[in-house]
Amino acid sequence: MINFHPTDKQLRQFAEGNISSAMALVVAAHCDMCSHCQEKVDEVNVELAQDIENIAAHEMTDPAFEKMLAEITAKPMIDTRPAIVPKIELDGRFFDVPRPLRRYVRNTGNWSKLLGKVWQAPVDIGEAGAAHFIFMENGGQVPEHTHRGNELTLVVNGEFSDGLADYDTGDFLVMDNEHIHSPHSNNKDGCLVFSIVDEPLHFTSGLARLLNPFSHLFFK
Amino acid sequence: MLVGIALENNKSNTSKPKECANEMSQYLVAVASERCKRSYAKIFGYFAPRLRSYALKQMGNEALAMELVQDTMSNVWQKAHLFNVEKGSPSTWIFTIARNIRFDMLRKLQNRKEDICSDDLWPILCETTADQNEIPLDEQVTLEQVGQLFNHLPDKQRSVIEAIYIDGKSQQEVADQLSIPLGTVKSRTRLALQRLKDMLEDHD
Repeated sequence: MINFHPTDKQLRQFAEGNISSAMALVVAAHCDMCSHCQEKVDEVNVELAQDIENIAAHEMTDPAFEKMLAEITAKPMIDTRPAIVPKIELDGRFFDVPRPLRRYVRNTGNWSKLLGKVWQAPVDIGEAGAAHFIFMENGGQVPEHTHRGNELTLVVNGEFSDGLADYDTGDFLVMDNEHIHSPHSNNKDGCLVFSIVDEPLHFTSGLARLLNPFSHLFFK
Repeated sequence: MLVGIALENNKSNTSKPKECANEMSQYLVAVASERCKRSYAKIFGYFAPRLRSYALKQMGNEALAMELVQDTMSNVWQKAHLFNVEKGSPSTWIFTIARNIRFDMLRKLQNRKEDICSDDLWPILCETTADQNEIPLDEQVTLEQVGQLFNHLPDKQRSVIEAIYIDGKSQQEVADQLSIPLGTVKSRTRLALQRLKDMLEDHD
Protein backbone atom coordinates (compact mmCIF):
# COMPACT_ATOMS: atom_id res chain seq x y z
CA MET A 1 0.00 0.00 0.00
CA ILE A 2 1.25 3.48 -0.86
CA ASN A 3 1.89 5.52 2.28
CA PHE A 4 4.26 8.22 1.14
CA HIS A 5 2.91 10.85 -1.23
CA PRO A 6 3.98 14.24 -2.57
CA THR A 7 2.62 17.15 -0.51
CA ASP A 8 -0.47 18.99 -1.74
CA LYS A 9 1.80 21.92 -2.54
CA GLN A 10 4.03 19.75 -4.71
CA LEU A 11 1.01 18.33 -6.51
CA ARG A 12 -0.31 21.83 -7.18
CA GLN A 13 3.05 23.02 -8.50
CA PHE A 14 3.10 19.94 -10.71
CA ALA A 15 -0.35 20.72 -12.11
CA GLU A 16 0.67 24.33 -12.70
CA GLY A 17 3.90 23.26 -14.37
CA ASN A 18 5.85 25.46 -11.92
CA ILE A 19 8.24 22.79 -10.74
CA SER A 20 11.74 21.52 -11.49
CA SER A 21 11.98 18.89 -14.20
CA ALA A 22 13.45 16.27 -11.88
CA MET A 23 10.71 16.75 -9.29
CA ALA A 24 8.08 16.78 -12.05
CA LEU A 25 9.32 13.46 -13.40
CA VAL A 26 9.19 11.66 -10.06
CA VAL A 27 5.82 13.21 -9.14
CA ALA A 28 4.44 12.23 -12.56
CA ALA A 29 5.66 8.64 -12.14
CA HIS A 30 4.11 8.52 -8.66
CA CYS A 31 0.77 9.83 -9.94
CA ASP A 32 0.77 7.14 -12.61
CA MET A 33 0.86 4.58 -9.79
CA CYS A 34 -1.31 6.45 -7.27
CA SER A 35 -4.89 7.23 -8.27
CA HIS A 36 -5.34 9.20 -5.05
CA CYS A 37 -2.72 11.80 -6.07
CA GLN A 38 -3.78 11.69 -9.73
CA GLU A 39 -7.29 12.71 -8.65
CA LYS A 40 -5.90 15.63 -6.68
CA VAL A 41 -3.93 16.78 -9.72
CA ASP A 42 -7.03 16.42 -11.90
CA GLU A 43 -8.95 18.64 -9.48
CA VAL A 44 -6.29 21.34 -9.64
CA ASN A 45 -6.32 21.10 -13.45
CA VAL A 46 -10.06 21.76 -13.47
CA GLU A 47 -9.59 24.72 -11.16
CA LEU A 48 -6.77 26.20 -13.26
CA ALA A 49 -8.77 25.67 -16.45
CA GLN A 50 -11.63 27.64 -14.90
CA ASP A 51 -9.23 30.52 -14.27
CA ILE A 52 -8.56 30.61 -18.01
CA GLU A 53 -12.26 30.50 -18.83
CA ASN A 54 -12.99 33.34 -16.45
CA ILE A 55 -10.11 35.50 -17.56
CA ALA A 56 -10.90 38.83 -19.23
CA ALA A 57 -10.43 37.75 -22.82
CA HIS A 58 -8.60 39.77 -25.41
CA GLU A 59 -10.59 41.12 -28.31
CA MET A 60 -11.08 38.60 -31.05
CA THR A 61 -10.89 41.26 -33.73
CA ASP A 62 -7.10 41.24 -33.88
CA PRO A 63 -6.13 40.28 -37.46
CA ALA A 64 -3.33 38.14 -36.00
CA PHE A 65 -5.98 35.70 -34.84
CA GLU A 66 -7.49 35.40 -38.29
CA LYS A 67 -4.09 34.64 -39.77
CA MET A 68 -3.38 32.12 -37.04
CA LEU A 69 -6.71 30.35 -37.57
CA ALA A 70 -6.05 30.01 -41.30
CA GLU A 71 -2.54 28.66 -40.69
CA ILE A 72 -3.69 26.12 -38.16
CA THR A 73 -6.58 24.73 -40.18
CA ALA A 74 -4.24 24.24 -43.14
CA LYS A 75 -2.24 21.75 -41.08
CA PRO A 76 -2.80 18.01 -41.36
CA MET A 77 -4.22 15.90 -38.57
CA ILE A 78 -1.65 13.97 -36.58
CA ASP A 79 -2.32 10.33 -36.02
CA THR A 80 -0.51 9.00 -32.99
CA ARG A 81 0.11 5.35 -32.44
CA PRO A 82 0.32 3.65 -29.10
CA ALA A 83 3.96 3.01 -28.32
CA ILE A 84 5.38 -0.36 -27.43
CA VAL A 85 5.75 -0.68 -23.68
CA PRO A 86 9.43 -1.13 -22.82
CA LYS A 87 10.41 -2.89 -19.61
CA ILE A 88 13.46 -2.75 -17.38
CA GLU A 89 15.44 -5.97 -17.50
CA LEU A 90 17.79 -7.25 -14.83
CA ASP A 91 19.12 -10.82 -14.82
CA GLY A 92 16.21 -12.14 -16.85
CA ARG A 93 13.59 -10.40 -14.71
CA PHE A 94 11.39 -7.81 -16.39
CA PHE A 95 9.86 -4.87 -14.56
CA ASP A 96 7.04 -2.61 -15.68
CA VAL A 97 7.78 1.05 -15.11
CA PRO A 98 5.23 3.85 -14.74
CA ARG A 99 4.31 5.58 -17.97
CA PRO A 100 6.33 8.80 -17.46
CA LEU A 101 9.52 6.75 -17.12
CA ARG A 102 9.00 4.53 -20.15
CA ARG A 103 10.83 6.73 -22.62
CA TYR A 104 13.89 6.62 -20.34
CA VAL A 105 14.15 2.85 -20.45
CA ARG A 106 15.96 3.36 -23.75
CA ASN A 107 18.26 5.89 -22.06
CA THR A 108 19.20 3.44 -19.35
CA GLY A 109 22.78 2.15 -19.32
CA ASN A 110 24.02 -1.22 -18.22
CA TRP A 111 23.60 -2.54 -14.72
CA SER A 112 26.68 -2.49 -12.56
CA LYS A 113 27.17 -3.97 -9.16
CA LEU A 114 27.48 -1.11 -6.74
CA LEU A 115 28.09 -2.73 -3.38
CA GLY A 116 27.26 -6.20 -2.17
CA LYS A 117 23.76 -6.92 -3.35
CA VAL A 118 22.97 -3.51 -4.76
CA TRP A 119 22.87 -2.84 -8.49
CA GLN A 120 22.46 0.38 -10.36
CA ALA A 121 21.91 1.48 -13.93
CA PRO A 122 22.35 5.13 -14.95
CA VAL A 123 19.48 6.92 -16.71
CA ASP A 124 20.31 9.85 -18.95
CA ILE A 125 17.95 12.74 -18.21
CA GLY A 126 20.39 15.44 -19.33
CA GLU A 127 21.13 18.29 -16.97
CA ALA A 128 17.96 17.75 -14.97
CA GLY A 129 19.93 15.65 -12.46
CA ALA A 130 21.66 12.31 -12.02
CA ALA A 131 19.11 9.55 -12.31
CA HIS A 132 19.43 5.81 -11.69
CA PHE A 133 17.42 2.70 -11.43
CA ILE A 134 18.69 0.99 -8.29
CA PHE A 135 17.94 -2.60 -7.44
CA MET A 136 18.44 -3.99 -3.94
CA GLU A 137 18.46 -7.75 -3.82
CA ASN A 138 17.02 -9.47 -0.77
CA GLY A 139 19.51 -8.53 1.96
CA GLY A 140 21.10 -5.77 -0.12
CA GLN A 141 21.99 -2.55 1.65
CA VAL A 142 23.22 0.91 0.69
CA PRO A 143 25.57 2.22 3.45
CA GLU A 144 24.19 4.89 5.75
CA HIS A 145 24.34 8.28 4.10
CA THR A 146 22.97 11.78 4.06
CA HIS A 147 22.47 14.18 1.16
CA ARG A 148 24.06 17.41 0.10
CA GLY A 149 21.19 18.22 -2.19
CA ASN A 150 17.87 16.51 -2.75
CA GLU A 151 17.33 12.83 -3.37
CA LEU A 152 14.00 11.99 -5.02
CA THR A 153 13.01 8.35 -4.96
CA LEU A 154 10.09 6.37 -6.29
CA VAL A 155 9.61 2.73 -5.34
CA VAL A 156 8.93 1.09 -8.69
CA ASN A 157 8.58 -2.50 -7.55
CA GLY A 158 9.08 -4.14 -4.17
CA GLU A 159 9.67 -3.04 -0.60
CA PHE A 160 12.55 -1.56 1.32
CA SER A 161 13.32 0.04 4.67
CA ASP A 162 15.88 2.66 5.60
CA GLY A 163 15.84 2.95 9.39
CA LEU A 164 13.36 5.82 9.12
CA ALA A 165 10.38 3.98 7.66
CA ASP A 166 9.21 1.04 5.56
CA TYR A 167 8.37 1.72 1.93
CA ASP A 168 6.20 -0.09 -0.57
CA THR A 169 5.64 -0.03 -4.33
CA GLY A 170 4.55 3.44 -5.46
CA ASP A 171 5.91 5.35 -2.44
CA PHE A 172 7.40 8.79 -3.11
CA LEU A 173 10.34 10.04 -1.01
CA VAL A 174 12.20 13.33 -0.82
CA MET A 175 15.40 13.21 1.25
CA ASP A 176 17.75 16.11 1.98
CA ASN A 177 20.57 16.97 4.38
CA GLU A 178 18.26 16.54 7.35
CA HIS A 179 17.83 12.85 6.62
CA ILE A 180 20.37 10.16 7.40
CA HIS A 181 19.30 6.76 6.19
CA SER A 182 20.55 3.35 5.13
CA PRO A 183 18.24 1.77 2.55
CA HIS A 184 18.03 -2.00 2.60
CA SER A 185 15.63 -4.57 1.32
CA ASN A 186 14.51 -7.72 3.10
CA ASN A 187 11.91 -8.38 0.46
CA LYS A 188 12.06 -11.87 -1.04
CA ASP A 189 12.07 -10.44 -4.57
CA GLY A 190 14.21 -7.43 -3.77
CA CYS A 191 13.28 -3.86 -4.59
CA LEU A 192 13.60 -1.66 -7.68
CA VAL A 193 13.62 2.10 -7.18
CA PHE A 194 14.09 5.10 -9.46
CA SER A 195 16.11 7.92 -7.97
CA ILE A 196 17.35 11.37 -8.94
CA VAL A 197 20.00 13.25 -6.96
CA ASP A 198 21.33 16.73 -7.66
CA GLU A 199 24.49 16.32 -5.54
CA PRO A 200 26.58 13.27 -4.58
CA LEU A 201 25.61 11.34 -1.47
CA HIS A 202 27.60 11.72 1.71
CA PHE A 203 28.26 8.48 3.56
CA THR A 204 28.14 8.76 7.32
CA SER A 205 29.28 5.54 8.95
CA GLY A 206 32.06 3.01 9.13
CA LEU A 207 34.19 2.05 6.22
CA ALA A 208 31.71 3.51 3.80
CA ARG A 209 33.02 6.94 4.76
CA LEU A 210 36.05 6.04 2.72
CA LEU A 211 33.75 6.13 -0.27
CA ASN A 212 33.00 9.83 0.14
CA PRO A 213 35.89 11.12 -1.95
CA PHE A 214 34.66 8.84 -4.71
CA SER A 215 30.94 8.97 -4.10
CA HIS A 216 30.42 11.10 -7.15
CA LEU A 217 31.58 8.06 -9.08
CA PHE A 218 28.88 5.90 -7.58
CA PHE A 219 25.79 7.93 -6.73
CA LYS A 220 26.49 11.01 -8.66
CA MET B 1 -7.83 31.99 -48.04
CA LEU B 2 -10.31 32.37 -45.25
CA VAL B 3 -13.36 31.33 -47.18
CA GLY B 4 -15.84 29.48 -45.09
CA ILE B 5 -14.28 30.20 -41.74
CA ALA B 6 -16.01 32.91 -39.86
CA LEU B 7 -14.31 34.15 -36.74
CA GLU B 8 -16.52 34.46 -33.73
CA ASN B 9 -16.45 38.06 -32.66
CA ASN B 10 -19.01 37.45 -30.04
CA LYS B 11 -16.95 38.03 -26.94
CA SER B 12 -19.59 37.66 -24.30
CA ASN B 13 -20.53 34.10 -23.73
CA THR B 14 -23.89 33.97 -22.13
CA SER B 15 -24.28 30.21 -21.87
CA LYS B 16 -23.60 28.52 -18.58
CA PRO B 17 -20.22 26.78 -18.14
CA LYS B 18 -21.75 23.31 -18.29
CA GLU B 19 -23.65 24.06 -21.50
CA CYS B 20 -20.59 25.70 -22.95
CA ALA B 21 -18.55 22.59 -22.13
CA ASN B 22 -21.08 20.38 -23.89
CA GLU B 23 -21.13 22.67 -26.88
CA MET B 24 -17.32 22.75 -27.10
CA SER B 25 -17.17 18.95 -26.70
CA GLN B 26 -19.43 18.54 -29.70
CA TYR B 27 -17.29 20.89 -31.75
CA LEU B 28 -14.18 18.94 -30.79
CA VAL B 29 -15.80 15.68 -31.85
CA ALA B 30 -16.75 17.26 -35.17
CA VAL B 31 -13.16 18.42 -35.67
CA ALA B 32 -11.86 14.95 -34.83
CA SER B 33 -14.26 13.05 -37.05
CA GLU B 34 -14.84 15.40 -39.96
CA ARG B 35 -12.09 18.01 -39.79
CA CYS B 36 -14.92 20.48 -39.48
CA LYS B 37 -13.36 23.94 -39.84
CA ARG B 38 -16.48 25.74 -38.77
CA SER B 39 -16.56 23.82 -35.51
CA TYR B 40 -12.89 24.53 -35.05
CA ALA B 41 -13.46 28.26 -35.62
CA LYS B 42 -16.00 28.20 -32.76
CA ILE B 43 -13.48 26.55 -30.45
CA PHE B 44 -10.78 28.96 -31.58
CA GLY B 45 -13.03 31.97 -31.11
CA TYR B 46 -13.77 30.99 -27.55
CA PHE B 47 -10.37 29.80 -26.37
CA ALA B 48 -7.73 31.69 -28.36
CA PRO B 49 -8.43 35.12 -26.80
CA ARG B 50 -8.58 33.62 -23.32
CA LEU B 51 -5.36 31.71 -23.86
CA ARG B 52 -3.73 34.88 -25.07
CA SER B 53 -4.59 36.67 -21.83
CA TYR B 54 -3.39 33.69 -19.81
CA ALA B 55 -0.20 33.38 -21.84
CA LEU B 56 0.57 37.09 -21.58
CA LYS B 57 0.28 36.86 -17.81
CA GLN B 58 2.53 33.78 -17.74
CA MET B 59 5.14 34.78 -20.30
CA GLY B 60 5.02 38.57 -19.95
CA ASN B 61 5.77 39.04 -23.62
CA GLU B 62 3.34 39.47 -26.48
CA ALA B 63 5.31 37.47 -29.07
CA LEU B 64 5.85 34.51 -26.74
CA ALA B 65 2.22 34.68 -25.68
CA MET B 66 1.06 34.40 -29.28
CA GLU B 67 3.47 31.54 -29.88
CA LEU B 68 1.97 29.71 -26.92
CA VAL B 69 -1.56 30.33 -28.25
CA GLN B 70 -0.61 29.14 -31.72
CA ASP B 71 1.12 25.95 -30.52
CA THR B 72 -1.72 25.14 -28.15
CA MET B 73 -4.45 25.71 -30.70
CA SER B 74 -2.50 23.77 -33.37
CA ASN B 75 -2.49 20.76 -31.08
CA VAL B 76 -6.23 21.15 -30.55
CA TRP B 77 -6.75 21.02 -34.32
CA GLN B 78 -4.25 18.30 -35.10
CA LYS B 79 -4.96 15.99 -32.18
CA ALA B 80 -8.63 16.59 -31.53
CA HIS B 81 -9.21 12.83 -31.69
CA LEU B 82 -7.25 12.47 -28.44
CA PHE B 83 -9.83 14.51 -26.54
CA ASN B 84 -11.84 12.17 -24.35
CA VAL B 85 -15.03 13.64 -23.01
CA GLU B 86 -15.10 10.99 -20.28
CA LYS B 87 -11.88 12.35 -18.85
CA GLY B 88 -12.83 15.99 -18.52
CA SER B 89 -14.08 19.17 -20.10
CA PRO B 90 -12.63 20.80 -23.22
CA SER B 91 -11.33 23.72 -21.16
CA THR B 92 -9.40 21.40 -18.86
CA TRP B 93 -7.96 19.53 -21.83
CA ILE B 94 -6.92 22.74 -23.54
CA PHE B 95 -5.47 24.18 -20.33
CA THR B 96 -3.30 21.08 -19.86
CA ILE B 97 -2.01 21.37 -23.43
CA ALA B 98 -1.13 25.04 -22.85
CA ARG B 99 0.53 24.16 -19.53
CA ASN B 100 2.68 21.53 -21.28
CA ILE B 101 3.71 23.84 -24.09
CA ARG B 102 4.59 26.57 -21.63
CA PHE B 103 6.70 24.10 -19.62
CA ASP B 104 8.71 23.14 -22.72
CA MET B 105 8.95 26.73 -23.96
CA LEU B 106 10.38 27.97 -20.66
CA ARG B 107 13.05 25.27 -20.64
CA LYS B 108 13.99 26.01 -24.21
CA LEU B 109 14.24 29.72 -23.44
CA GLN B 110 16.51 29.02 -20.48
CA ASN B 111 18.64 26.87 -22.74
CA ARG B 112 18.56 23.95 -20.34
CA LYS B 113 19.84 20.71 -21.72
CA GLU B 114 17.37 18.58 -19.86
CA ASP B 115 16.03 15.49 -21.43
CA ILE B 116 12.63 15.74 -19.81
CA CYS B 117 9.68 16.99 -21.81
CA SER B 118 6.07 17.61 -21.02
CA ASP B 119 4.85 14.62 -23.01
CA ASP B 120 6.55 12.36 -20.48
CA LEU B 121 5.21 14.24 -17.50
CA TRP B 122 1.65 14.79 -18.56
CA PRO B 123 0.86 12.24 -21.26
CA ILE B 124 -2.31 13.92 -22.43
CA LEU B 125 -1.37 14.00 -26.09
CA CYS B 126 -0.44 10.35 -26.39
CA GLU B 127 -2.76 7.58 -27.31
CA THR B 128 -3.19 5.53 -24.15
CA THR B 129 -1.32 2.32 -24.55
CA ALA B 130 -3.27 -0.86 -24.36
CA ASP B 131 -2.28 -2.95 -21.40
CA GLN B 132 -0.57 -6.05 -22.69
CA ASN B 133 -2.31 -8.20 -20.13
CA GLU B 134 -5.69 -6.78 -20.94
CA ILE B 135 -8.11 -9.27 -22.45
CA PRO B 136 -9.19 -8.03 -25.87
CA LEU B 137 -12.54 -6.32 -25.72
CA ASP B 138 -14.18 -8.75 -28.13
CA GLU B 139 -13.50 -11.64 -25.78
CA GLN B 140 -15.06 -9.99 -22.78
CA VAL B 141 -18.51 -9.26 -24.05
CA THR B 142 -21.19 -11.05 -25.92
CA LEU B 143 -22.34 -10.05 -29.35
CA GLU B 144 -25.77 -9.41 -27.95
CA GLN B 145 -24.47 -6.75 -25.58
CA VAL B 146 -22.61 -5.05 -28.38
CA GLY B 147 -25.68 -5.22 -30.60
CA GLN B 148 -27.73 -3.33 -28.04
CA LEU B 149 -25.12 -0.64 -27.54
CA PHE B 150 -24.54 -0.44 -31.27
CA ASN B 151 -27.95 1.15 -31.70
CA HIS B 152 -26.88 4.05 -29.49
CA LEU B 153 -24.13 5.07 -31.90
CA PRO B 154 -24.69 8.17 -34.05
CA ASP B 155 -25.98 7.22 -37.52
CA LYS B 156 -22.78 8.20 -39.34
CA GLN B 157 -20.58 6.11 -37.09
CA ARG B 158 -22.98 3.18 -37.17
CA SER B 159 -23.08 2.98 -40.95
CA VAL B 160 -19.28 2.90 -41.11
CA ILE B 161 -19.05 0.20 -38.47
CA GLU B 162 -21.78 -1.86 -40.14
CA ALA B 163 -20.01 -1.73 -43.49
CA ILE B 164 -16.66 -2.74 -42.02
CA TYR B 165 -17.55 -5.22 -39.32
CA ILE B 166 -20.75 -6.73 -40.69
CA ASP B 167 -20.37 -6.43 -44.45
CA GLY B 168 -16.63 -6.99 -44.22
CA LYS B 169 -15.68 -4.07 -46.46
CA SER B 170 -12.30 -2.42 -46.35
CA GLN B 171 -12.04 1.16 -45.08
CA GLN B 172 -11.22 2.33 -48.61
CA GLU B 173 -14.31 0.60 -50.00
CA VAL B 174 -16.45 2.27 -47.37
CA ALA B 175 -14.94 5.63 -48.23
CA ASP B 176 -15.76 5.11 -51.93
CA GLN B 177 -19.26 3.87 -51.19
CA LEU B 178 -20.13 6.81 -48.95
CA SER B 179 -18.10 9.32 -51.00
CA ILE B 180 -16.17 10.51 -47.96
CA PRO B 181 -12.39 10.78 -47.43
CA LEU B 182 -10.55 7.72 -46.11
CA GLY B 183 -9.39 9.74 -43.08
CA THR B 184 -13.00 10.36 -42.15
CA VAL B 185 -13.78 6.64 -42.30
CA LYS B 186 -10.79 5.98 -40.07
CA SER B 187 -11.70 8.59 -37.51
CA ARG B 188 -15.36 7.55 -37.45
CA THR B 189 -14.30 3.97 -36.89
CA ARG B 190 -12.00 4.98 -34.09
CA LEU B 191 -14.57 7.20 -32.44
CA ALA B 192 -17.27 4.56 -32.75
CA LEU B 193 -15.07 1.86 -31.22
CA GLN B 194 -14.01 4.22 -28.44
CA ARG B 195 -17.63 5.05 -27.80
CA LEU B 196 -18.62 1.40 -27.70
CA LYS B 197 -15.78 0.72 -25.33
CA ASP B 198 -16.85 3.59 -23.08
CA MET B 199 -20.44 2.41 -23.13
CA LEU B 200 -19.36 -1.11 -22.23
CA GLU B 201 -17.36 0.18 -19.33
CA ASP B 202 -20.32 2.19 -18.10
CA HIS B 203 -22.42 -0.90 -18.55
CA ASP B 204 -20.37 -2.97 -16.11
